[in-house]
Amino acid sequence: MASMNELIDGLRGLAALPQTVLRVTTMLTGGNASTAEIEHVARNDEALSLAILRRANSARFGRPGCTFTLHESIARLGTSALLKIVLEQKAAGMFADRGEAYGLQRGQLWRSAIGGAIAAERVAQRANFGNPGLAFVCALLRDVGKLAFDAHFGTRYMLLIEAHANSGRQFVEMERSAFGFDHARLGAELVMRWGLPQRIADAIAFHHDPPTSPPAQDVLFDIVHAADIISLWAGLAIGCDGMQYKLANHVRVGLKLDRPAAEHIISEVWNKLRESEVKMAPPARKGVAA
Amino acid sequence: MVSTASSYSKTEVDGKHVVGVGDMVVCDDPQVLLVTYALGSCIGVTIYDPVAKVGGLLHFMLPSADLNKEKAAANPAMFGDTGIPLLFKACYEKGARKDRLIVCAAGGAEVLSDDGHFKIGSRNRTLVRKIFWKNNILIAGDETGGSNSRTLSLRMADGTAIVRTQGTERVLWQA
Repeated sequence: MASMNELIDGLRGLAALPQTVLRVTTMLTGGNASTAEIEHVARNDEALSLAILRRANSARFGRPGCTFTLHESIARLGTSALLKIVLEQKAAGMFADRGEAYGLQRGQLWRSAIGGAIAAERVAQRANFGNPGLAFVCALLRDVGKLAFDAHFGTRYMLLIEAHANSGRQFVEMERSAFGFDHARLGAELVMRWGLPQRIADAIAFHHDPPTSPPAQDVLFDIVHAADIISLWAGLAIGCDGMQYKLANHVRVGLKLDRPAAEHIISEVWNKLRESEVKMAPPARKGVAA
Repeated sequence: MVSTASSYSKTEVDGKHVVGVGDMVVCDDPQVLLVTYALGSCIGVTIYDPVAKVGGLLHFMLPSADLNKEKAAANPAMFGDTGIPLLFKACYEKGARKDRLIVCAAGGAEVLSDDGHFKIGSRNRTLVRKIFWKNNILIAGDETGGSNSRTLSLRMADGTAIVRTQGTERVLWQA
């Protein structure tokens, strides 16, 4: 069986993170966003320009009878919304065609990434966490390890994991038995290779088993963990791993997460997810008004 | 003809029509196979009238629309208590009759060690049983609970309802 390093070394499409994503992630998590830089990125990316124009001219942000240009749209949306549009769009490129190893239909892994990110941001806001953008990024990337397993093993993955199936255990424990490491650890290693900050890698590594006590405990990890479980309840990316994950008790208590709150977030996730899907939909006609 | 509650469901090749999460599809075309994937704590409900050959599939997420009336008005198929009546109404409009309808359900799984704090799947299961019991409707085929993902399909040609879990298929109802 391949070691984690060998597995990552063998990944071609995932070996490097697009520079756009790296730069935008740094801006979103570090709070040093520049609209001029975002405009520069968008002008060189037609699909991204369209997504920004759609959002700015949507019922939520637009004005009847008024169409905003790309420059106006960028100014109107604000840096936080813009950065999320960029990340969602780039994540779509990474996740859209993956997930077969986990028995997922095309697009489900992308939906789960975006849905989890929306849930994390909402949980972060409820918990008064200082940097909801960071929670958004961590949750968006939490399952990149699944991409790596998918790219390396394809449908063979399910055959390999089947021998370790046990209904009483968390799915990540089965992965550890089968491969020596799970998708959370693999994802953390991958984002470290991409050059993302250690804290993002740790949030990904711990998204199924957040540490219960200091100094390793971090409310960011708890938020990403809660968002992952909420995305399961929302019916996102439920593949061969089913619902075989646990919500850590200290996270439920620490974040004051109860059933009504969880159900509210689930319905919000779907409403925002549908907005995202409309925003990302392929253009009906060519041409960008900029 | 296939009618959907929203644009989130889609037709694929070979007459397969995929019903999205929080969505519903009603159909009277015998060539169509309705299918919904990734049922975790959500529940899929199929209904079918074997005489009129009209049926539908609903994939709802949460039990009660009381959570948010505004969202329920916009997306009634997201909630069991608004989605199930909508499914029946849409089938009646296509000629189905209540006394002939075959009802099946699948999903309602839980995450591990829920310890009764959330019980999203369990509450969905309870809602389904309560609605059908109140309306004197028997569930002909049911596979709910556990922690596995399920795929539910309804063949419009004859009403066969099949649930697929962990690579294994089980017929919930067949003529």
